[in-house]
Amino acid sequence: MVRLLNYCLFAATIAPLMAIAQDDAPGRQQFTAGVELGYLHTSGYDSWTGGSASMGKLRHDEGDGGITLSRAFFDYTSLLTDTIDAHVAVELYDDDFGESADFTEAYVEWRPLPRSANRYRLKVGAFYPRISLENTEPGWSSPYTLNSSAINTWVAEELRTFGAELGVTRRPRSLAGAHQFGLHVAAFYGSDPAGTLIAWKGWSLHDRQTRFGDDVPLPTLPQLQPGGLFEGNDPYVEPFVEVDDRPGYYVSGEWRYTDRVLVRAMHYDNRADPTVVENGQYGWTTIFDHVGAQFELPADFGLIAQWMSGSTVMGGVINGAHVVDVEYESSFLLLTKTFERHRLSLRYDRFDVTQNDQTVEDNNPENGRAWTIGYRYHHSDRIGIAAEWLAVRSHRCARGYAGFDPDVREEQIQLSLLLRFAN
Amino acid sequence: MSQLFLPAKQSLRKTRWLPVFAVALTVTAHPAPLTVTVLDRDGDPVPDVAVYVGAQSGIAKPGPERKVMDQQHGRFVPHFLVVATGDEVHFPNSDPIAHHVYSFSRPNDFMLPLYKGNAHPPVTFEHAGVVTVGCNIHDRMLGFILVVDSAVYGKTNADGKVTLDPGDVSRVDVSIWSPRIRPKNETLTQTVDAGGVASLTFELTGRLRPSRDHDDGGLTWSDY
Repeated sequence: MVRLLNYCLFAATIAPLMAIAQDDAPGRQQFTAGVELGYLHTSGYDSWTGGSASMGKLRHDEGDGGITLSRAFFDYTSLLTDTIDAHVAVELYDDDFGESADFTEAYVEWRPLPRSANRYRLKVGAFYPRISLENTEPGWSSPYTLNSSAINTWVAEELRTFGAELGVTRRPRSLAGAHQFGLHVAAFYGSDPAGTLIAWKGWSLHDRQTRFGDDVPLPTLPQLQPGGLFEGNDPYVEPFVEVDDRPGYYVSGEWRYTDRVLVRAMHYDNRADPTVVENGQYGWTTIFDHVGAQFELPADFGLIAQWMSGSTVMGGVINGAHVVDVEYESSFLLLTKTFERHRLSLRYDRFDVTQNDQTVEDNNPENGRAWTIGYRYHHSDRIGIAAEWLAVRSHRCARGYAGFDPDVREEQIQLSLLLRFAN
Repeated sequence: MSQLFLPAKQSLRKTRWLPVFAVALTVTAHPAPLTVTVLDRDGDPVPDVAVYVGAQSGIAKPGPERKVMDQQHGRFVPHFLVVATGDEVHFPNSDPIAHHVYSFSRPNDFMLPLYKGNAHPPVTFEHAGVVTVGCNIHDRMLGFILVVDSAVYGKTNADGKVTLDPGDVSRVDVSIWSPRIRPKNETLTQTVDAGGVASLTFELTGRLRPSRDHDDGGLTWSDY
């Protein structure tokens, strides 16, 4: 009932905006609203989203089976002037991490008219860093699978740029526009607790994006309980808050060769002070490198690969290492093919977390593998159908704290109806 | 590849180092019009290549013509247009969303403020040259307009051929251009005896850039 009410409220809020956009003759208002619902069957451990100690890798568990409303979203762009636009994205979920509907992105972008082969872009606000090659559609949706790869699931969980990104792309005329080179530099506030989930929960695969006001639950680890080593930490993380007043940055480079090849690389450092704790949220120094590439192949095949490797540390230094000091790495390969209105995608993920610290009561290593097979049927611009099978096998020592087997195999089958309303 | 051009192609292979000689071998007994064929390095026809005859032809332009480069599904259609100096090019936007069309290709640079439909008057290109057209909102959109100072021009068809009237003069320059052709080491202009040549072949030696005029493949290519 609450779920239904939420969705009605959401519809009532966006309906007037949609009506305005529909009547918009100059095309300055652009929106996409989406609803994804369907049948879900999950086997395995309790989901991490319930704040459990078993640390399942999926968003849902057996208790969520049956007909489920996965998400609803509203993605809206207003072209304020010829060169400035405003963009907001709102996600609606049926869980208690925060408000039922909240923002995932909100930014203003300035696109001065190019006077040469260089094009400049300035984004100010809150937006995703340039990492995912999967989530290319409105609402950060993926055209390939319902559940994101481990890398992009983490991006959705903990990363958002609250700041400014300056970009320059160059398409040299001598190459007839075939090649495009880009450089993006961002400075941001917030994102100091980002890294908490990768250390204490590990990697996951799902379709939930953390909204601005969300409190994302942490596993019920003994070290986070009263009397535990990290009892000062809230039982949840607010990944986007600022705790030490030190801005972070990222630098991203990109090369595109027509619509055949795209390669991007990034170095990210949130520059958080690992010794600062404020309002129950610690600073985690999170640094990583990312490389992603996608290739158009013959016969409407496409290939996407991403790799990420980094570290996160928290707390003071004891015996040469921070209290929490982990390294993490993940990569995936996604092969996709379209045929008429159908799309079939196959993805293989691997992920691990290694522990450098000597803190015996905080055991965070893990490793895992996942296979995803996704099918889409694009009936029309408004209606699509998705079927997806996802299996993830993972080993996480910390499951043993609560007496669970560290080795877990989870499996999920999802049949979804994808509704889209756009002007 | 038709039988007619097979011997000529074989000759060209042997004499690639001397293209003018190769052209002479393609001469057949028929008078004008002139059929121009563009072949890639494998001998396969290259469609959508602009072919134009130099101003020596003496053929007067019929006056400004109306040309159209539409915007459909976030692409310029056609993505490559050939026009004569003085022609008017219309840029309708058939998409439900606004586009912001511009070019920084001086002296033919222009800008059409954000619009949908047929909101702007046509753009007249007075100067010969290549005009690179983009959309300031959708970085991915890319179009080319070749402005030629000639009344005699066309684009090759699916067979890599176009037939032109070179005029009644003794010698005339025939040139080709396409955003797919890498100009280095290519012969892009040939001078021919217009009265006595019925066919002319350009055999490209370099690898072509991929065509942009294709449907979406397996992936999505956003600007994000």
